[in-house]
Amino acid sequence: MNNPRNDKWRHRILRWIVFGLFLFFAGRTAYLQLIEGNQYIDKAENNVIRYVITYPPRGEVFDRNGEYLIQNKICYDLMVVPRETPRDGIDTARLITITEEPKKRLVRSLNEARKNWRIASPVVKYLSAEAKLKLDEWNIPGFYTVPRTVRQYPRNIGGNLLGSLSEVSQRFLDKYNEEGYYTRGDYIGEQGIESAYERELRGEKGRIRRNIYDNNTATNEVEKEAVAGKNLVSTIDASLQAFAEELMEGKVGSVVAIEPATGEILVMASSPTFDPNELVIGRQRGNHYMALLNDPRRPLFNRAVTSPQPPGSTFKLLNGLIGLQEGVLKPHYRYTCNKGYRAGNIKMGCHEHRSPLDLDYAIATSCNAYFCNVYRNILENKRYKSPKEGYEVWRNYVEQFGFGVKLGSDVTGERKGTLMHREYYDKLYRKSWNALTVLSVSIGQGELQATSLQLANFAATIANRGYYYTPHIIKQIEGQDSIDIKYRTPHYTSVDKKHFETIIKGMWRGVNVDGTCQLAKLEGLDVCGKTGTAQNPLGDDHSTFISFAPRNNPKIAIAVYVEHGVWGSTAAVPIASLIEEKYLTDTITRPWLVEYVKNLKLDYYKAYDRHKKK
Amino acid sequence: MTGIRRNSNDITLFSGVDWITVILYLSLTILGFIAIFSATYVEDSENILSFEHKYIKHLFWLGISYTAALIILLLDRSMWHKWAYIICAGTIFIVLMTFIPGLGKTVNGAKAWLGFGGFTLQPMELAKVGISLATARIMSEYGYSVQKFGDVIKVLLLLLIPMGIAVLQNDTGSGLVFCSFLFMFYREGLDNWICVPIIFLAALLILSFLLSPGVLLITLIVIFTFSAGMLMRNRWKACIKYVAALLIISTLLFLALGFGFGFKFDYYDCLLYTTMASMVAVVVYAYRKNIRKLYFLVLLFFISVMCLPTSDMVFRHLKPHQQDRIRTFLGLEDNRDLLYNVNQSKIAIGSGGLTGKGFLEGSQIRYGFVPEKHTDFIFCTIGEEFGFVGAVVLFSLLCMLILRLMKMGDRQLEAFGRVYCYCVASILFFHCFINIGMTMGIVPVMGIPLPFISYGGSSLLGFSLLVFIAIALDASPIKRQSTLRKW
Repeated sequence: MNNPRNDKWRHRILRWIVFGLFLFFAGRTAYLQLIEGNQYIDKAENNVIRYVITYPPRGEVFDRNGEYLIQNKICYDLMVVPRETPRDGIDTARLITITEEPKKRLVRSLNEARKNWRIASPVVKYLSAEAKLKLDEWNIPGFYTVPRTVRQYPRNIGGNLLGSLSEVSQRFLDKYNEEGYYTRGDYIGEQGIESAYERELRGEKGRIRRNIYDNNTATNEVEKEAVAGKNLVSTIDASLQAFAEELMEGKVGSVVAIEPATGEILVMASSPTFDPNELVIGRQRGNHYMALLNDPRRPLFNRAVTSPQPPGSTFKLLNGLIGLQEGVLKPHYRYTCNKGYRAGNIKMGCHEHRSPLDLDYAIATSCNAYFCNVYRNILENKRYKSPKEGYEVWRNYVEQFGFGVKLGSDVTGERKGTLMHREYYDKLYRKSWNALTVLSVSIGQGELQATSLQLANFAATIANRGYYYTPHIIKQIEGQDSIDIKYRTPHYTSVDKKHFETIIKGMWRGVNVDGTCQLAKLEGLDVCGKTGTAQNPLGDDHSTFISFAPRNNPKIAIAVYVEHGVWGSTAAVPIASLIEEKYLTDTITRPWLVEYVKNLKLDYYKAYDRHKKK
Repeated sequence: MTGIRRNSNDITLFSGVDWITVILYLSLTILGFIAIFSATYVEDSENILSFEHKYIKHLFWLGISYTAALIILLLDRSMWHKWAYIICAGTIFIVLMTFIPGLGKTVNGAKAWLGFGGFTLQPMELAKVGISLATARIMSEYGYSVQKFGDVIKVLLLLLIPMGIAVLQNDTGSGLVFCSFLFMFYREGLDNWICVPIIFLAALLILSFLLSPGVLLITLIVIFTFSAGMLMRNRWKACIKYVAALLIISTLLFLALGFGFGFKFDYYDCLLYTTMASMVAVVVYAYRKNIRKLYFLVLLFFISVMCLPTSDMVFRHLKPHQQDRIRTFLGLEDNRDLLYNVNQSKIAIGSGGLTGKGFLEGSQIRYGFVPEKHTDFIFCTIGEEFGFVGAVVLFSLLCMLILRLMKMGDRQLEAFGRVYCYCVASILFFHCFINIGMTMGIVPVMGIPLPFISYGGSSLLGFSLLVFIAIALDASPIKRQSTLRKW
């Protein structure tokens, strides 16, 4: 039947097939266990050990009176483990009604979650407590909610001062994440206090080592406890800030108020501003952010520090101080002003006032001609070889007052403004320039720009008669005895104290006797101030005012800058005066002035509104 | 030489028993028990001897199996031949009992279980014994030849019974086991060039949805024509003529129909119909030339072409989970759960290293990452806890057992014993191939146990019966005497 030789051949083949199969298995096992073994050992370990990151609560921020500026609020994320969901699907319509999530987004996130079959992924974020209760009641298998904290800003003030949280960007992770603290999906402070004090507020993430012993049971071993973020006390006076923002509504500009004795910033209002709650991480953040970003008036800009503008006549005070210190100006020096200053073919206009006039009155009435003379004398001082050297001396004084440099405050986005070096003019005018060439600087225009913070700091320096503390917005950090030393060291100027008294006398006169800012007069408070009106090509003049009060032992120094606010006294003076009054007396005795400020209509068409999309 | 000679009075219980096989069997079952103990041991159990535990249940089944083995050795060793059909009918009857409502139980979606009290039994494991015996009986009838088309069909029809039942029970894996009888058929002399297309067919079935129907059809025609050519030895001319005729006629048909009715069909259809029609010619040719082997090929070809028209016809009739398994295996679909199972299984094996993590130390097994760790994926337990060394020991034991069974088959003088031993070897081979291959991601996942190792009383008992009947047949005095007579 069977060919015996063939037979032998056949069972030999079969034996080799059997042997070959097991040899192949042995080879495959050897490959898995001996060659790729380490890789699988790692994988097996990863199966059993998971690291779970615990997030500490972020620190909260209070104002100087103990009111909440930034608070934590609990909300809920809806998570899903697709594997555990019912096979026949879920009632998405009901889910949509409860979560109020658009159907498209819900379906998209559900599909996204399905890619990680066994892992919990978020479906809907930032649910309210009511939605959470409804979901708990419904209790869909595979779905659950996890709490998370979000920020809220109870006073709705200081959008760009307080800042907001955002998800850390890939760019940040690539470039700045040196300590490797942040991972994708973490939140990080953006702008303002949230950003400047990120390190203090965030706390330290904790880590839990989780051994998974079964599909259901796991033991947790805390490797590192999460450290809660520190609470901060801000120097901001919340009600004053709110009042300032209210007054600034509809105007473009900024208000900065400083306590001269400490450098604490009481108010830092930038207008237009926005409600910081709009930028709380949540479903609407993106929309709000884009709207703010596209607004031609740039509400995301903290104008108080990031928008240097010509200081105008307020700068005359500094030229006066320098003149006095250099000895080229004495309080009794009198100059004539015939509706302006003329030298060669240069003409600087001035308004109608008595002439000739002394320093006192020149400050009070803000005479251009007087300070052109002063400035020229400073630069053309015989002690120096040329006006160019005189300029360098002058510039040195100006820098001591915090102009042209960053003050180093803890407000984010601070800029240094404009204060030209001698080399700039050398290059521009090919070394042939003199005091007259740069004359516009004498009245705070031309190649000179300062931020409101610098102006307020200048006011504080005058109020302190010659020194200032670096302005700051945080006065206390939980668990620390004191704030950084740099906010506690005074910066002295090389101008003598007695010269300040001279200038202050003029400032006092301007408010209380016969000057440009008599609107700022407050009975019994001895307000001192100086207006400024800076010309610009984009519309009406900028209105600015720096002031402090009371004259002796000042409690508040303030700078108000209203872009295109016509005269210094039109917009800036009443705003500053009202804020000072509210701060010093806690009452408003001039409701009509509040009404006046609120109803003030300024023309921003040329500067901003023509860019507005229709 | 006379000293060796024995008469029937000398025959004791264990005379003629192949001790090597018995030792291999015992080692495997003990290794299996260790693996099951490790896979199902519960650390914080109050009573480690409680009958709740799977390893205790398995111990119980080990006892039953050993007893059954002893009884088989006690029984008259010629009874298996006599009673083959009755045993087969009996086991199939038990299998059919699973369809009786109340008795039948569904486990993992397969209605293949009988439940009595706390025990469940999968009768298909026992049916393997019956079918093997019946197959051996048919193939040892006088004048039976695997060269004869009709004779082979007899066995195929017998095998179709359990396979059909398995499909109805939704337990296709157990049914597929009988495909392994090709192994035995080959040993019995089935022509090479019939075996080759069958193996190709099996591969094509799995790959059928990777290839387009046209490519499949052409592949089939090429394979079968080549096999036919090999079968008919020196008639290559006829094969070439056949292929040329197919091409010409189908092209003509395509053009004629195309110009007649517009080209609203593919060339593929023309080729298909021409090929089907040509089968008549092939049958006539085979009859006239008296080449009976060609009938096999015609039958095989017909079956495969039937499956082709829409290439995934067979595939569509598979259950969704079976489709998923094959699709996942081929990488067409990433069914997360299935991929996860196979990945975790590979991680378990791979992380074992050379000597393993030690008894009861395997994290993949302990902490439930490997699914079915005590049944279908039991090899992971051995791979993880005893490493490469353990795996090689297991492979050697299994390999030696199968080779030993084949050897036992080869030394039988009676066709019955030989066929039976090869049937057992085939079944064991298939189980090992699929089960171990599946844990290493080489074979699609199919729910069939690893012989002697996997948890499950029915399979342990079934395999024990299979092996010990083979031992009993091997030890039968008829064989012994005839062997001696040969000397």
